[in-house]
Amino acid sequence: MASKATINALIKKGLSKKLAEKVAEYYTLTQLKKVSYEELEEKIGKDAKKVFEKLGRKIEGKEKKEEGKKEKRKGKRRKKEEKEERKIKERTVKDEILKILKERKEYLPPIVVDELAEKIESKKLHNKLRIIVEKAIEEYNKHLMEPFEACGMVAAQSIGEPGTQMTMRTFHYAGVAEINVTLGLPRLIEIVDARKDPSTPMMTVYLEGVYRVNKEKAKEIANKIEVTRLINIAEIETDISNMKVIVKPNLKAMERKDIDMNDLIKAVKKLSKVEIKEGKEKIEILPKDENYRELRRVSEEVKNLKIKGIDGIKRAIIRKEGNEYVIYTEGSNFEKVLELEGVDKTRTITNDIHAIYNVLGIEAARNAIINEAYETLQEQGLNVDIRHIMLVADLMTSDGTIRPIGRQGISGEKASVIARAAFEITVDHLLRAARKGEKDELKGVAENVIVGQPIKLGTGSVELAIDVKKLGKVKK
Amino acid sequence: MKYTRFEKARIVGARALQIAMGAPLLIKPPKGVVDPVQLAMLEFEKGLIPITVRRRGKLIKGPAV
Repeated sequence: MASKATINALIKKGLSKKLAEKVAEYYTLTQLKKVSYEELEEKIGKDAKKVFEKLGRKIEGKEKKEEGKKEKRKGKRRKKEEKEERKIKERTVKDEILKILKERKEYLPPIVVDELAEKIESKKLHNKLRIIVEKAIEEYNKHLMEPFEACGMVAAQSIGEPGTQMTMRTFHYAGVAEINVTLGLPRLIEIVDARKDPSTPMMTVYLEGVYRVNKEKAKEIANKIEVTRLINIAEIETDISNMKVIVKPNLKAMERKDIDMNDLIKAVKKLSKVEIKEGKEKIEILPKDENYRELRRVSEEVKNLKIKGIDGIKRAIIRKEGNEYVIYTEGSNFEKVLELEGVDKTRTITNDIHAIYNVLGIEAARNAIINEAYETLQEQGLNVDIRHIMLVADLMTSDGTIRPIGRQGISGEKASVIARAAFEITVDHLLRAARKGEKDELKGVAENVIVGQPIKLGTGSVELAIDVKKLGKVKK
Repeated sequence: MKYTRFEKARIVGARALQIAMGAPLLIKPPKGVVDPVQLAMLEFEKGLIPITVRRRGKLIKGPAV
């Protein structure tokens, strides 16, 4: 089929005479423009690359990828632009709402204003904007508590009463996939006491990008965070007669955890006061001081030697939820796990509230307290209005740190001597106050009740006066 | 003025005490109503009680918008 025209054309394009002849055997120039790289490679071998180069064609697989990438980039850019447009539109709606609020001299919380702006924009309700805002103001005012309402007392009772219905027992294996989590009353006590280490720390790690949908990639991350000790992936023998510890790696186990010999050797080299001999399929560790005690110490250290994983994460379990993979871990190291590539920093959570405080700050800690407490109650089947829990969380985080409710925290920091004495350790407080000559201003509830006066809440907050205008009408 | 329920309770209560101690009524008592609290409530609903509340400080509903 070799047409002379084809051969000449190919030679003109830059192919050698031999190659041109070879190619022209199978294809004409027009066919060459459409043939796939794989097919050409089959027919003429490695030279197909050169042919494609000279013809100015990109190798098919790559070419399609480039096209796909361009489309993706265009799509992303368009999405970004749309998002920005939307934000600008929402801002104009928001400004209108704020204008209405100002002229009516009313108030709505910023988050409500944002949500209204978003909904009005997305559902195109601009013409009904005024009515919507006025209705929102009306509803908001209806839900407001009146000043001097005893909200603390109400909140305490609203949480305490269902608390009596909670179980003291913790269930085993409650929660996802065999991970032990503290539930019920003990957990609520942990939260409210602001304990630094919860008894069952746990993390829910969400993934992003490729890691989110690909099982192998998700497993990669799970292996990166789960702590693997030498004893899990190798046989460890203590050879007493020769005063050494022999480590025989189990290659299958190592492969499952994505560990190679180099990782092993690097970890073993960290041991102190030992000499290391690398064998073919084993590693020999000899303590520098040859006595039984050293040998035993080395043996123990070797067994517990951490090869891979993040400190504190005992187990990592992957689960498929909907169309994404999520990792649940027993044990929590919030800081280190967030640093990993593939981990979605915007959604990953832990139940260790102090960890959230250290990494994400006090507002996040406040939300964590609310969520944890609310979920604990929900799990027990109790429905407590979230505003009571919000009050407790606000109180705990009001000074910028997490203070426990209790003697070491809020209750112990009250200004009134009598209130503190009535709470715990009575005599101490009274003695110390008497020695200092402290004054109790009787501003709070507890001290007024003890002394026998009305408290400054509710009706005790009202100061009556004569209404002179109405009095004038009465005389008539 | 819109009273909170604590203020209303206090006002009605103070007026009821006055009525109970023999103060003249500001409304014409309907037939059969003798309870001072009920009478005070009727007066309150008509807006006739010359007692009001002194509110200290500004009532702020939230951060300045």
